[in-house]
Amino acid sequence: MSTPATSTDTAAARRRYARRALPLLPAALFLGAALAGPRLAPHTIDAPVTATYATAGDGALLGGDQLGRDVWSRLLHGGGELIGCAFLIGAAVTATAALLGCLAVLRPRAGRVLERTADVAILLPSVLGIMLVALAWPDGGRWAVITAAIVLGIPFAVRVVAAAAAPLAAAGYVEAALMRGESSLSITVRELLPNLRGTVTALFGLRFVEAVYIISTAAFLQIGPQPPEADWALMIRENAPGILLNPWAVLAPSAAVALLAITVNLATSAPAPAPRR
Amino acid sequence: MAALTSGAPAAGSTDPAPAGPPAPPRVGADRARRAGRVALRVGAVLLRRALVLAALLAVVFAAVEILPGDAATASAERGDSAAAIAARREHLGLDRPLWERFTDWMTALPTGDLGTSARGEKVADLLRDPFPNTLALAGAAFALTIAASLALGCLAAARPGRRTDRVIGHTATTAFAIPDFVLATGLVLVLSLWTGWLPAVTVADASGKPAEWTMMIMPVLALAVPQTGWNTRIVRGALADQAGAPHVEAARLDGLSTTRVLLRHALPGALPVIATGIATSTGMLLGGAVVVETLFNYPGIGTVLAGAVAGRDTTLIAGSVALAGAAITLVLLAADLVRAKTAGAGR
Repeated sequence: MSTPATSTDTAAARRRYARRALPLLPAALFLGAALAGPRLAPHTIDAPVTATYATAGDGALLGGDQLGRDVWSRLLHGGGELIGCAFLIGAAVTATAALLGCLAVLRPRAGRVLERTADVAILLPSVLGIMLVALAWPDGGRWAVITAAIVLGIPFAVRVVAAAAAPLAAAGYVEAALMRGESSLSITVRELLPNLRGTVTALFGLRFVEAVYIISTAAFLQIGPQPPEADWALMIRENAPGILLNPWAVLAPSAAVALLAITVNLATSAPAPAPRR
Repeated sequence: MAALTSGAPAAGSTDPAPAGPPAPPRVGADRARRAGRVALRVGAVLLRRALVLAALLAVVFAAVEILPGDAATASAERGDSAAAIAARREHLGLDRPLWERFTDWMTALPTGDLGTSARGEKVADLLRDPFPNTLALAGAAFALTIAASLALGCLAAARPGRRTDRVIGHTATTAFAIPDFVLATGLVLVLSLWTGWLPAVTVADASGKPAEWTMMIMPVLALAVPQTGWNTRIVRGALADQAGAPHVEAARLDGLSTTRVLLRHALPGALPVIATGIATSTGMLLGGAVVVETLFNYPGIGTVLAGAVAGRDTTLIAGSVALAGAAITLVLLAADLVRAKTAGAGR
């Protein structure tokens, strides 16, 4: 029985809603700033405007890097691609895992195969996996990293979804749908996934953070973006030798990577996570 | 229980043993049957882990095979004739059928032969000195992760919903999100360049080990902090699940102290989940070690692998994957045994 909402009810609901939306704010602000960054940059990313490792000030807000390029401009340019790739990886892994995880629960035989795959994947540190794929696909560049991150991320994610979906599969409405002879896909999309919203959202946040880790680590190992490009992880590596001359050339991109991961993680994390396997 | 501990390889599990009830006296036949069942279970777990490791190696070998180039072309000098490359290929045994080479590689692995690198050196020789250094680094970070996440997780669980709990929860979430190389850069700047407390670069002594133990502090911290963040949340979550269990509830209602309830009643039940969670960190620690090593110039496999990527030396990377996979398998095995032991104690 539903009762008509009174004004105090709606006020409380609005407050609840606001409190839920609050953790999203830092992530939204940061992502907005990073994506709008290239329009705000005062200089181009490849023109030297200062002395090598010039300190902050004198026309360059954060000083210059190892070639005298403006750190602030490169910082504003360096996030878009990282965020785009991480978003792509997070979305692809989450979507695939959501479908496969439900399939694993509905079809026990497929579930066992997916379980074994996850067992194998767990033995391959993602950094080594990326090195292998980058070597196997030397012209792949960013796409090699993206493919590797998606392939390596799916097994874990499938486990998380399967663990959350298992209790639902025994629910009456799922059994009824099975009896009606509905296809696994239809049951997944219409019966299971709507009830897994929380799990899937948290999973996306986790996969996004993981993707940021993988892409930036790969870039740091010089797999993916190549030197003239402005990329936060690449900036950290390139400017490390001059860290004492102009600390900002290293600190600013470090802080940017950390803030990106932290804000998105806070926005989507549940208080207690499901174990990784 | 006794049979299980004696039959288990000491695979480096540093988890404290769960405080099970003292074993009641049993009849001999019952004990023998029990021991047989336990041995069977341990055997099955060992076999399963070995098969999984073999599957990974097969996948890695296949990945190496679908490469456009092979070791012969990768190591060829500019201007080598096609005949010279063919001769090299024959020398490296690359002209033999795929299946034969795979069987050879797999059967040679247990003897410690990891194949031949693109430059014609033995991969095992290239990795012999650096790999133990990497293991020492990752192992120290692993031990620190276990100790810190258990302590922080218990501390938070002892005060559910209070400020300590919330602060630990948020800090853990934040720490987990920071990539280890970013953290390492920050540590170098603060602990080394600004304060001068720790050496920024690892210097190896004559035997190829880090010259001073203080050189390991920053790499270990950079690896352990994010993983501690993750595992603190797992410990906290597992303890929260246990807090509602009937026997924990009963212990609390009996008026036992919070610490006692937590450590003697809730923690043993939470151990299987915790062990599994922490074991999965091994891969992140080993992978992270590769990255952090390059930053600190630490004499581990990170430097070797960076060279392997530049020189397109896939055998070298495949060999490292095999070693890392074996190390992770051992830790997962330890987690399996912790799980089996806790389940056995509960029965």
